[in-house]
Amino acid sequence: MQNLTPPYGNKTTIVDPIVGIFSSFAMLLILIGVSITLYEIVMRYIFESATSWVYKTTLWIAAVTYLVSGIFAMQQREHIRVTVIYDAVSPTLRLIFDYLALYVLIVYATLMLVGSADQVWVIFSHAVKTGTISSLPFGPTIKPLVLLATVAVVIVSINNFLLDHLNIGRSNNSISPDNSTE
Amino acid sequence: MTWKLAFMLIVIIGGVLTGLAPLFLFTDFRAELGIGTMLLGIFFGILILLSAGVPIGFASGVLGAIVIWLNFGLPGLGLVMIRVSDLTSTASLVAIPFFILMASLLERSGIAQDVFDALSHLLRRARGGVAVATAFLAVILASMSGIIGGEIVLLGLVALPQLLRLGYDKHLAIGTICAGGSLGAIIPPSIVIIIYGLIADTSIIKLFTALIVPGFMLAGSYVAYIIIRTQLNTTLAPLPTYSAEDRSEIDKELWGDLLILLSPFATGAVGAVVANKLGAGAVEQTATFVFSSTFAMLGIIAWLRTRQTNPVARGLLPLLLIIDLVLGSIYGGVTTISEAAAMGVVASLIVIFLRRELEVVTIMGALEQMFRSVGAILWVTFGATVLAGAFTLSGGAQYVSTAILDLNAPPTVVILMMLLVFFILGLFIDWIGIILMTMPVFLPIVLQLGYDPIWFGVLFCVSMQIAFLTPPFGSAAFYLKSVAPPDIDLVTIYRSFGPFILLQIAILTVLVAFPEISLFLVR
Repeated sequence: MQNLTPPYGNKTTIVDPIVGIFSSFAMLLILIGVSITLYEIVMRYIFESATSWVYKTTLWIAAVTYLVSGIFAMQQREHIRVTVIYDAVSPTLRLIFDYLALYVLIVYATLMLVGSADQVWVIFSHAVKTGTISSLPFGPTIKPLVLLATVAVVIVSINNFLLDHLNIGRSNNSISPDNSTE
Repeated sequence: MTWKLAFMLIVIIGGVLTGLAPLFLFTDFRAELGIGTMLLGIFFGILILLSAGVPIGFASGVLGAIVIWLNFGLPGLGLVMIRVSDLTSTASLVAIPFFILMASLLERSGIAQDVFDALSHLLRRARGGVAVATAFLAVILASMSGIIGGEIVLLGLVALPQLLRLGYDKHLAIGTICAGGSLGAIIPPSIVIIIYGLIADTSIIKLFTALIVPGFMLAGSYVAYIIIRTQLNTTLAPLPTYSAEDRSEIDKELWGDLLILLSPFATGAVGAVVANKLGAGAVEQTATFVFSSTFAMLGIIAWLRTRQTNPVARGLLPLLLIIDLVLGSIYGGVTTISEAAAMGVVASLIVIFLRRELEVVTIMGALEQMFRSVGAILWVTFGATVLAGAFTLSGGAQYVSTAILDLNAPPTVVILMMLLVFFILGLFIDWIGIILMTMPVFLPIVLQLGYDPIWFGVLFCVSMQIAFLTPPFGSAAFYLKSVAPPDIDLVTIYRSFGPFILLQIAILTVLVAFPEISLFLVR
């Protein structure tokens, strides 16, 4: 949000293009959500037969959008944070702050994993037994996705750290980060 | 290099071990913490983490998870996942990606430029006319966009060069753009309102309705200020001289423009009357009105495109179409908010297609921008919902509201204190952080004092208008700086905000003093 943070380097690792490709596909999902919502309105007002699957599917698509967009936002360093002090301090202190941010994120993800392992396990064991997760209601299927997305955010965050502080990664000038319009 | 890497590995392993602690170390561990201690812990924890630049979502998420663990032990930790997964399946949130996508699509087309050209041409003879046109454009854009960033950038690109070229005072120009652009967060549809409605568990449509009058009061005060200021000091807005015979083709077509702009609504009215005669209910009549006027506008846009006449109507129609379709559907009860937003996306795509501007690059760019904003907004919400849940369940919210109510301060003073908190937090934190961190505490108090949460939502939105503009970190300034000419620095930008902040404070005062202004439409 703020444009104060120094622009991140032009180096990438294998993680960045994977996030990019994954996000591009997930972005298209929202267009499907838009289309089926329009279909629902047409069915309701012109053919007077409202559907029930559209609502659930749109909710699911939206949920996937929120989750994957968080991974993308992490890769783009777009997660909302207060940069007032961060931008004013020395590079060493900034490094320490980034260690802290990484630590906080990992603790959060692990605590979530520890707390939700049984909930997620129920879904997986059900999926293994019946061979499908489509028979489950919407709510439970999203839980493994939340967990996956959080772990992915952690991975991207470690990747960002490697790029920003350890100078690891391949130089890639073709990817020019576009921070100008937000 | 190596020690950095080694330390990173230590941090990672340490983080995992800390996270696993509930599992192995103190399986039956319960901290018998007093609520006061816990509140202090949360307060200082959030203060330290946020100052260190930890993303708000993760900072509040981790504190929430720790509070839950300390109070309810290992079994309670399941709540973290439940809070987050419940939030992802909330129906009203679906509107957020749709609205952001709609706004990003429209930003990428030349529609705003056309509207600005049309409006500034119409108002070019009046002193300060182009600044007034900018304010009008800001209001129109605000009723299509729910976030302020894109709107300010767009106004900065479209209106600022023109205002500076015509010799307008740069403070007046900048203030108009940023104050006007901030209206996106208050004039419906607004993402701020959707999140507030979600947290406060109130009707989002009622909030939208309640904000109509305050939103237009703000916009009206800006326009009035521009007119009065330029009348008193004519050097602020020089008036180009026009000869008597300078009446361009555009002026001759004005009556035709008016006719073209009104005809879709006439079509809609005819449709509604026909539906009435056929025995349709009120909602179906509204639906007929909205849909038939929309289709009429689409037809006219396509027709004008081939004729290349009436630039005023051609510029205004696409925006009128989207406002009619989206807000008409929401206020008329035709569709839910998310369905209206989805129709808005489709309508924007069609309009852009009719303008021959539809390209894969445009769509992908808009999708990417949507994705970035949604990720940033939603993940703050995820973390904050964990913290808010922990706070409420462990009695923190109850404790604070009782403490404040026990002060027996006059209700108005309590409300003013809350607004002061918004103002102070607004100096440093984004609106979304403020909503999510303060509302779990403030809303119970507001309800206990007997106030309407809808009114409080209106006050919150207006306070956020002030927060967008106040230095040192008002986000509006940064958005404008990113597109302003290099000789305009942040000091100039902030200095331009002064009069507009005073106007906002005046209107906030009026709204606090007279709740009816916000509430008479929703009663």
